[in-house]
Amino acid sequence: MSAIDNIGIKVIEAADLPTGNVKALLHELSGLLDAWLSTGEAASIDLRSLPLTRGDYDELGATLGAGAVSASVEAIGLSEVRETRYPGVWRVTHRNEAGEIVADLLEVCDAPVILRSPVEDAADGLIRLKEALRP
Amino acid sequence: MTTLGDTLSASGVSRRAFLKFCTALTSLMALPPSMAPAVAQALAKAKRPSVIWLSFQECTGCVESLTRTNSPTLENLILDLVSLDYIETLQAASGFAAEEARQHAMKESNGQYLLLVDGSIPVADGGIYGTLAGESFVDMLQESAKGAAAVVAIGSCASFGGLPKANPNPTGARSVSDIVKDKPVINVPGCPPIAVVMTGVLAHYLTFGKIPELDAQRRPLAFYGETIHDRCYRRPFYDQGKFAKTFDDEGARSGWCLYELGCKGPITHNACATVKWNAGTSFPIQSGHGCLGCSEPDFWDNGSFYKALATADWGGAKAIGTAAAVGVAVGAAAAYAARKRQNRVSKEG
Repeated sequence: MSAIDNIGIKVIEAADLPTGNVKALLHELSGLLDAWLSTGEAASIDLRSLPLTRGDYDELGATLGAGAVSASVEAIGLSEVRETRYPGVWRVTHRNEAGEIVADLLEVCDAPVILRSPVEDAADGLIRLKEALRP
Repeated sequence: MTTLGDTLSASGVSRRAFLKFCTALTSLMALPPSMAPAVAQALAKAKRPSVIWLSFQECTGCVESLTRTNSPTLENLILDLVSLDYIETLQAASGFAAEEARQHAMKESNGQYLLLVDGSIPVADGGIYGTLAGESFVDMLQESAKGAAAVVAIGSCASFGGLPKANPNPTGARSVSDIVKDKPVINVPGCPPIAVVMTGVLAHYLTFGKIPELDAQRRPLAFYGETIHDRCYRRPFYDQGKFAKTFDDEGARSGWCLYELGCKGPITHNACATVKWNAGTSFPIQSGHGCLGCSEPDFWDNGSFYKALATADWGGAKAIGTAAAVGVAVGAAAAYAARKRQNRVSKEG
């Protein structure tokens, strides 16, 4: 055993501690949900623009919980779309092909736009379907 | 000239994938997520601009930071959006062929190309301390800036003079904005700058066709609008008056505020505390060391990295302790500030 092993090491991950910012975030979410219900105006929050620790993310995840819908979208990497236990509030996590998060959003709407089929893609699909039907 | 939309659909990228790409890009540019469809629309029509990158008194750390980014898909797509016509570090051509490529790009895209510069420019003794292809750095910068739409100073050396300008500055190092007076200059300081901040600035220019909103130091507000201190996850400890006094005391081990160990977070404007480094793994304060203030002018000559800031340096120390009772309110303020910042930036878009 070398002398260095005798040095006591105590590791505390300060970055794991909650900061209290989640409470502010939830108040904002409540305001956005209220606005969507009364005006129909959808909104979203970019989680990565906020100073959140891992502890905050855990707290946020536990508070929002899981709702009825969970979907995945494969488009230049996997995107996870989950409705929270508050209908109309969605957590949308976009990943790149290497699996890294490139955008992490809370969306307040009836369904996140990434789930809908864009008309441009549908038009391309129609061409392919007609090709397939050609005798 | 082909648009980005053409390029992407030719390579088989679906509209849904493109929208996702633009959502990520919107986040990268620190714009509100609701702008993603507008970004997609603008970017689909964007032209591929010519980019000339000049390296002067520098260490190549900025190019390293940019080219070793952690999200290859996104960064590559952004780099595919520009035509990088001249960059000594990466181009295959050398000698006369390389210089010809620069002259050609300057002629072909006169008035439209983006000029990126890393490194400071020595002007002492007729600029003799930095020459390239028989030309002094200062002459080359002036010549290349003439036809540029805008000049982007990458890193603290190009932005403010950086390390080469440190006392006694033997080569007479100057920043880009000291030399280029008649073109818009965007400073992207940092030693090195965060890669996504560099690509975010380029993406903003591509998307909106104009330079982003800047602060008094010509830094894009989207990334340099707030201090490290204001966005630091250790800020609640500062507000509670909990400080590490040495690097191995109980406070340091408990992850308390590094203010008394010389952290320059309160006077440093950068995005490290939110964007972080190495795939969002960490940033200096999270790794237990105070901020050096590398994105501020003359950070090298601003006294010891380990001496606590004086109140006179920023006027914030009086708040110690008094904010302790309002921990939640501070969090709310941080979230509010972030929103305000995004709103301000989106208005300009």
